[in-house]
Amino acid sequence: MTGMGEVLAKVTIFCFAASYGLALALELWHLVAPRPILRFASITLGAAGVLAHSIFVWVQPIPLGTPFGSLLFLGWILAVFYLYGAVHHHKLAWGLFALPVVFGLVVLAALSPEAGRDGEGSWWQDFQGVRVWGYLHGALVLLAAVGVCVGFVASVMYLVQVRRLRAKLPPTPGMKLYSLERIEAMNRRAILLSFPLLTAGLLVGIALQLQSGTLFQGWDTARILSSLGLWVVFAILLYLRYGAHARGRQVALLTVVAFALLLFALLSPQHPFAQGGGP
Amino acid sequence: MNLLVAGCNFRTAPIELRERLALEGARLTAALAELNARFGCEAVILSTCNRVELYVARPAAPAALDAGLLSEFLAQWHGLKFEDIQGSLYHHRDRDAVLHLFRVAGSLDSLIVGEGQIAGQVKRAYEGAAEQAIAGPVLHALFQQALAVAKRVRTETGIAHGHVSVSSVAVDFVRQVFDHFDDKTVLVIGAGKMGELTLKHLHALRPKKIVVTNRSADKAAELARSCGGQALGWERLDDALVEADIVLSTTGAPEPIMSRRRFNDVLARRTHGTIVILDIAVPRDFDPRIHDGDRACLFNIDDLTRIREQTLADRKKHVAPAEAIVAEEAARFLADWERRRHGPVIAQLTREFEARRQAIVKQLLGKLNGKLTEADQAYIEGAFRLLQNQFLHGPISALTQERPEPGGHTLLEALRKLFRLEE
Repeated sequence: MTGMGEVLAKVTIFCFAASYGLALALELWHLVAPRPILRFASITLGAAGVLAHSIFVWVQPIPLGTPFGSLLFLGWILAVFYLYGAVHHHKLAWGLFALPVVFGLVVLAALSPEAGRDGEGSWWQDFQGVRVWGYLHGALVLLAAVGVCVGFVASVMYLVQVRRLRAKLPPTPGMKLYSLERIEAMNRRAILLSFPLLTAGLLVGIALQLQSGTLFQGWDTARILSSLGLWVVFAILLYLRYGAHARGRQVALLTVVAFALLLFALLSPQHPFAQGGGP
Repeated sequence: MNLLVAGCNFRTAPIELRERLALEGARLTAALAELNARFGCEAVILSTCNRVELYVARPAAPAALDAGLLSEFLAQWHGLKFEDIQGSLYHHRDRDAVLHLFRVAGSLDSLIVGEGQIAGQVKRAYEGAAEQAIAGPVLHALFQQALAVAKRVRTETGIAHGHVSVSSVAVDFVRQVFDHFDDKTVLVIGAGKMGELTLKHLHALRPKKIVVTNRSADKAAELARSCGGQALGWERLDDALVEADIVLSTTGAPEPIMSRRRFNDVLARRTHGTIVILDIAVPRDFDPRIHDGDRACLFNIDDLTRIREQTLADRKKHVAPAEAIVAEEAARFLADWERRRHGPVIAQLTREFEARRQAIVKQLLGKLNGKLTEADQAYIEGAFRLLQNQFLHGPISALTQERPEPGGHTLLEALRKLFRLEE
C-alpha cells in the first residue's frame, strides 16, 4: 500500500460519524440561536464527514449484502444528497432533517452485527457470485432505498411544516423550511422513482432465484419479507396519492411507515445471496 | 473631520413640514451644488418621507460649518422662514454625527425599527453626491462605512427579521405553502378596500389567473378590470373555490359566507393541493374551524395582526445588540479616521529622521574610511537605525493611541512644532 493509501486507510467510521454528529449539533444550536456562522460551520463539518465517508467507501471493501454494508452505502448516498441540498439551500433547515437520517444510518451500521463486515476486494464483491444480475438487483434495491429515505426526510419536513401552519407560526431564521408544495413534490418524486426501481429490483431477485432453482428458499427471511411489505406500502401510497387524492399528511405518515420497513429490511440478517444463496 | 449633520425627522417635524423640506430629483441636485459652492464643503442630502438631513464636512477647514448657517440654508432653499423650522431641526457634530448616520442606516432611527428601505435610501443619497463629485474623502469613507454597518446590523441581529405589514405577513404564509405561482389561481371574494394592498402583493406574485366574485356583478367586473382578472358570478362561488389555490376574502357580509359543512363539500370536490384562504373581512367570512394546516390554511385578520405585533416585539429585542454594533463601528471609524489623519505626519517624521540618520552615518563612515571592516560598518548602521526606531517609538505610539478630543489635535500640533514638520 502506498503512503497515501495508508493514510486513507486510517479513516474510520468514527471520523465521519463524529463529523455528522457535530454538524447536527450545530444545526440544533442554529435552531435555538440562529447565526449564519453556525450554519456555515455545520455545512463545513458535514462536508468533512462526506469526504471521510467517501474515502471509507472507496478504500474499504464494503460487503453490500450485509446490514453493515448496505446501511453504510445508503448513508453515503444520502450524505452526498444532504450536502448538495445544504449548499444550495443554505438558508433552509435542510440539515436538521437530512443529517439525523445520515447520522442514524452510520450509527446503525457501526452497531450492526460484526459478521460479514470484512469483505474482500471491492464493495460489489458480494454480488460477484451472481455476476451482473446480482449486481443489478443490489443496485436497484439500493437506489429504491435512497428514494425511500429521501421520501422519509421530505415527509418529516412536511409533517413539521403542517404542524407549524396549523399553529399559524411564521417562518423563523432557525426554522425556515421549503414550502409545503415543494416538500410534497420532493416526496412525490422520491416515491415515483423508488417504486419502479424497487419493483425491478425485486423482479430481478425473483428471476435470480428462479434461475438457481431456489425460488421459495429464503422468502421467510426478514429482509425479503420487509422488502415485499415495502413494495405493498408503496403501491398503497401511489393509490392514495393518485387514486384517492389523499391528504398530504396521510401520504407523509405512510412514507414514514415505508421508511420503518426499509430500516427493518436493512437491519435484518444477511441477504441470502451474501450467505451464499446465489447461483 | 469637521462633520456636521442638520435636519429633521418624523419625531421632530410634522409631515406637513417634512413634505415642504423634502428634496428630490433636480432640486436635490441643485441644492447639493449650492451647498458645495456656498460653503466649500463636501455634502450629501438624505431626503426620505421620514427625514430630511444635510451631511456636510470640511476636512481642510479649521472648524466645522456653523449649524445655524446650515439650517438657514435649508429654510432659504425652500423659501421658508428660519424661525418656522428652527424648532424642528436637530444637528450633530463629528462623533455624534457619525453615530447618528450609522443608526439611521442601521434602521435604528426609523419609524418602524428594522425596516429595510432606509439602507437603500442612504446608498442612493450617497451615490447622488458622489456622481456630482460633491462627496469628498470624509463623506466617501463615512457613507461607505454606514452601508457596511447597515449590512452588519441586518445580518448579525434579527432586527430586520419578519414582515410588519398585514399584507406582507399574509404573503409570507402563502409562500410557506406554495413554491411557485405561475400555475396558481387567486380567487378574490368581495371588493372591500381592506384587501386592496394584499391583492396588490398577490398580484406581484404573478399568478396564472385572478378570479373575482362579488354579490354585485358590477363591482366584481370593476375590480377584475383593475387587477387584470376575470369576474365570476356570485352563484359560482363554490365552483371557484374548488379551482382556487389562494383565496382573498374581503366581503362586508354580516354573517360568515362559508360554513364548515359547505367548505367540506368544496374540499371533497378538490383534486389538487392545499388551499390558502386569507380572510381579512370583519366580521369573518370563513368558519375558522376549516383550518387544518394541510389541505386548508385559513388566516384571518387577527392571525395576521398577531404575527405583525409579534414581529415588532421581536425586533425590539434586537435593538440593544444593534446599538452595540453601531457604537463599536462608530468608535472604529473615528479611530481609523484619526490614524488616517496622523499617517502623513508619522511618515514625514520618519522620513526626516531617516534622512538625518543616513547623513550622519555617511559622514561617520567617511571619516573612518579604511579602518572598519564591512561587519563593523553594518554594525554601526544597525546601531543608528535602532536608536532612531527607539527614539521615534514614543511619539508615534502616543500619537496613534491619542483619543480624539473635541476641539483639536493638540499632540499632533505639538509634534509638528517640536520636530519642525511642515504643514
